[in-house]
Amino acid sequence: MKSDLNDSELLRSMLAGDEEALTVLYRRRQGAVYRFALQMSGSKTVAEDVTQEVFLFLMRDGHVFDPAKGSVSAFLLGVARNYVLRRMRVEQQLMPLGDDVDDDVPVLHASNDLCPLEDLTRAETIESVRRAVLSLPSKYREVVVLCELQDISYGETAEILGCAIGTVRSRLHRARALLLAKLRPAAEAEDADSATVKSARCFA
Amino acid sequence: MNQKFENDEEMLTRGLQALASEMKDLEAPEHVEIKLLEAFRARKVVVPISTRRWTSRPYWLAAVAAVLLIAMSVVALRWRSAEKPAESFAGRREPETPKVNQPREETPQLVEYQAVIQPPLRYNPKRNRHPRSRSSENAQVASLRPSEIATDFIPLRYMNVANLQEGGQIVRVEVPRSALANFGLPVNMDRYNERVKADVLYGVDGLAHAIRFVK
Repeated sequence: MKSDLNDSELLRSMLAGDEEALTVLYRRRQGAVYRFALQMSGSKTVAEDVTQEVFLFLMRDGHVFDPAKGSVSAFLLGVARNYVLRRMRVEQQLMPLGDDVDDDVPVLHASNDLCPLEDLTRAETIESVRRAVLSLPSKYREVVVLCELQDISYGETAEILGCAIGTVRSRLHRARALLLAKLRPAAEAEDADSATVKSARCFA
Repeated sequence: MNQKFENDEEMLTRGLQALASEMKDLEAPEHVEIKLLEAFRARKVVVPISTRRWTSRPYWLAAVAAVLLIAMSVVALRWRSAEKPAESFAGRREPETPKVNQPREETPQLVEYQAVIQPPLRYNPKRNRHPRSRSSENAQVASLRPSEIATDFIPLRYMNVANLQEGGQIVRVEVPRSALANFGLPVNMDRYNERVKADVLYGVDGLAHAIRFVK
């Protein structure tokens, strides 16, 4: 069974011409690549293109993968990162800044466990966080996407980005500070609104 | 202040976790996989052929070019070395020469001088004066062209026998008949301007060590 093989073995088989190995490897790793590209670019189109490019690269130049340097998934995310950054450099319009967010963002699914009001609040929070993440400079955005959203360890993130773990930590610290700075005004405005409502109720 | 910072951090963490959980099930559309598999199949058919072509073509070309170059060099070398004797013997079909060691049919004027025929080359004035009293090996050399009559080899002044131990080459040339006089041989003054055939013995050092005249 191909699904029992690890990523490196699948990659070897794929490079030897095994289509099933490619299918298994793709289905195992495409989600992470796609989500990374989507969270980095905010565009489904870019995410699809990047996912395709990454696996085409793997088919063409998969022999450059060195197991001693890291896992296949880290290798794929590293390739995806390069493609995303390249796309963002070439097509500046694909990098939404501030409120100018791409329209084809993923639809956020409401949880059935929450009441409609809480659900709406949660959706708003997620949307504001998503916008804040997309507005970060790319070097901070990628550490947030990898460490916070993809839940990848600092060590593996350092492998993907090709930098030291300390750099990852410091960038993540800085990125969180930037995110807080972006999210705080919205939160304060929300608090102010609720305070106004409360005072209105008091005066009523 | 510190409390507020912790609350903000907690809020941010919750927001990021919520965003991550919202997006955790997102996957690439199915058509991406279909396109990839199509590309993989196309590549499986096409790429190995193109790869083989690109990687092996230079080697084949280099090999063919090298073989052609070597062949042309050999032909040119032989043609060049055989050109003069061939021209001098134009119109005359030389009889087949008996095989000594390694006959060269394509260049009958150029005869390998092997170790087998070395003894006669040791200079012996007496034998030079009596060409008929050759040893059997010398007779082999002499009988290269049975219809011809040749003098014995006459050593040139810088002849060194040591240079002939490893063999040499006999090269058929044409020299002015007056050259006979230089070696103390009689010259027919009526045919003074004609040329006479001679075999020059070259050693491995590339120098001419002896000469004989052929009629």
